[in-house]
Amino acid sequence: MNRPALTSACAAMLRRDLTLAWRRRGDIAMPVLYALIVTTLFPFALGPEDTLLQRIAGGVVLVTVLLAMLLALDAMFSSDIEDGSLEQLVLAPQPLALMLGMKILAHWLATALPLILIAPLMAAMLHLPGAVIPVLLLALALATPLLSLLGAVLVALTAGTRRSGMLLALMLLPLCVPAVIFAAGAVAAAQQGLPWLAPVAWLAAALVLAVVLAPLACAAALRIALDA
Amino acid sequence: MSALQHFFAMGGYAAYVWPAYALFFAVLVADTVAPRLRRRRVLTELRARLARQSARQERKPPSTPASP
Amino acid sequence: MSSWIPLWLHKLGSPPTFYRFAGTLQPWATALALLLGVVGLYGGLVLAPADYQQGDAYRIIFIHVPSAWMSMFIYGVMGVASFIALVWRIKLAEVVAMESAPIGAAFTFITLVTGSLWGKPMWGTWWTWDARLTSELVLLFLFLGVIGLYHAFEDRRQGARAAAFLAIIGIINVPIVHFSVNWWNTLHQGSTVNVFGPSKISGAMLWPLLTVTLATKFYYVASLCRRARTDLLDLESGKDWVRRIAEDEAGR
Repeated sequence: MNRPALTSACAAMLRRDLTLAWRRRGDIAMPVLYALIVTTLFPFALGPEDTLLQRIAGGVVLVTVLLAMLLALDAMFSSDIEDGSLEQLVLAPQPLALMLGMKILAHWLATALPLILIAPLMAAMLHLPGAVIPVLLLALALATPLLSLLGAVLVALTAGTRRSGMLLALMLLPLCVPAVIFAAGAVAAAQQGLPWLAPVAWLAAALVLAVVLAPLACAAALRIALDA
Repeated sequence: MSALQHFFAMGGYAAYVWPAYALFFAVLVADTVAPRLRRRRVLTELRARLARQSARQERKPPSTPASP
Repeated sequence: MSSWIPLWLHKLGSPPTFYRFAGTLQPWATALALLLGVVGLYGGLVLAPADYQQGDAYRIIFIHVPSAWMSMFIYGVMGVASFIALVWRIKLAEVVAMESAPIGAAFTFITLVTGSLWGKPMWGTWWTWDARLTSELVLLFLFLGVIGLYHAFEDRRQGARAAAFLAIIGIINVPIVHFSVNWWNTLHQGSTVNVFGPSKISGAMLWPLLTVTLATKFYYVASLCRRARTDLLDLESGKDWVRRIAEDEAGR
């Protein structure tokens, strides 16, 4: 397998998944709508005081994005399992981890990127100070791929099962605790005028580790789950 | 106050100490009983299956070639 | 000497041999657990003096701390067994890993509830977001995730392998969670309950604690034997040796 063939395989995989995602645009809009609705509900539940909303804004946006991603996570491999193309991918000569990495990237582009794009709107709805929004976006840009990568491993593990929605949430919760802590910590520190680089650096370190390890783990998990 | 009453009063903390111990033993007893019940169920099912199998074999004449 | 150990181990790996071995081990472990438990709890509840700061409420320690140690110990056993199950595909290792999970979840649950029953009179709150407490809660979710994933598969062995993989991911996750919650606590200076101050424990309190810990260890062995035996019967229900057991026990 020479290098150009591998690159073109990656590009083909990415193009295929993005095309499929584009054909089902309604599914992309769903997590975005969900996040907006949840954000709208918070002021109704807590009252419209600026100070209170400002205090919780960063955390609410992060948790809402996390939940919206969880909503879409289930669908990461499901259509490929139904039509059997995932099994073809397992048998393909290209390294499975790399191909799955491309699928994860496509899934992140289709679900997390729209959420990051509307995050400033959500933050504004909760009166987050404008100066903090870049930090929030940076934290989201690092935390969402981390969640996609971790989630992909778990989705691969549940590939052979029928019902997995609630189970996925149960399995993801322990894994996403550090990501939520550091992402929300960066936003909170920025809001208090404290240095926020340390948690962001931790997030970035975790992301680098996950980019290397998670596709490999995902491939191993998929081999276990599809091995009947 | 007798010694036994004193013991059960736990220095005024009886409402915290005894529920903790009760829960400890309740969970462990449940953990002990669950596999026993499951064992009984598994064996009963197995016996029922064996009984069905032998009944089927009796219905069939033994001369026909046995199919797996 | 080195020649018979592997053979003995290989024999133990076969389900019928392990079934018999666990059958003989289990009553002894149960008896030891009961004996040590009674002695340790008598020492803890009756003989040990009341704590000069906490009064009698500290007596929850004699079940809380052993349970906490057991929850981590069982997760470790589960992780090691999971690793063996994934690498060498030994059926018995899968059984040990998957049957450890409910016992571990039980001990984690006991730890959390007794901890909050102890925390209420001592710190004035049922729960605080301390690193240790949060890690224990995360541990409970990990156990539940393993159990849930195992039962989500129709094929038992496939489910066991998938859940074993999740258990190994979890073992990496626990220290990370502990570290991140510690960091988070330094950021949020809100609740500064000094939960675990430096403390020395006197001998009259220490020996019951260690005895109960030993009792829970034996309890785990006994419970694991019981569960593994049942699970093996279920897994191997088509085999001859299980049929013989079923027929033998039909008369009783």
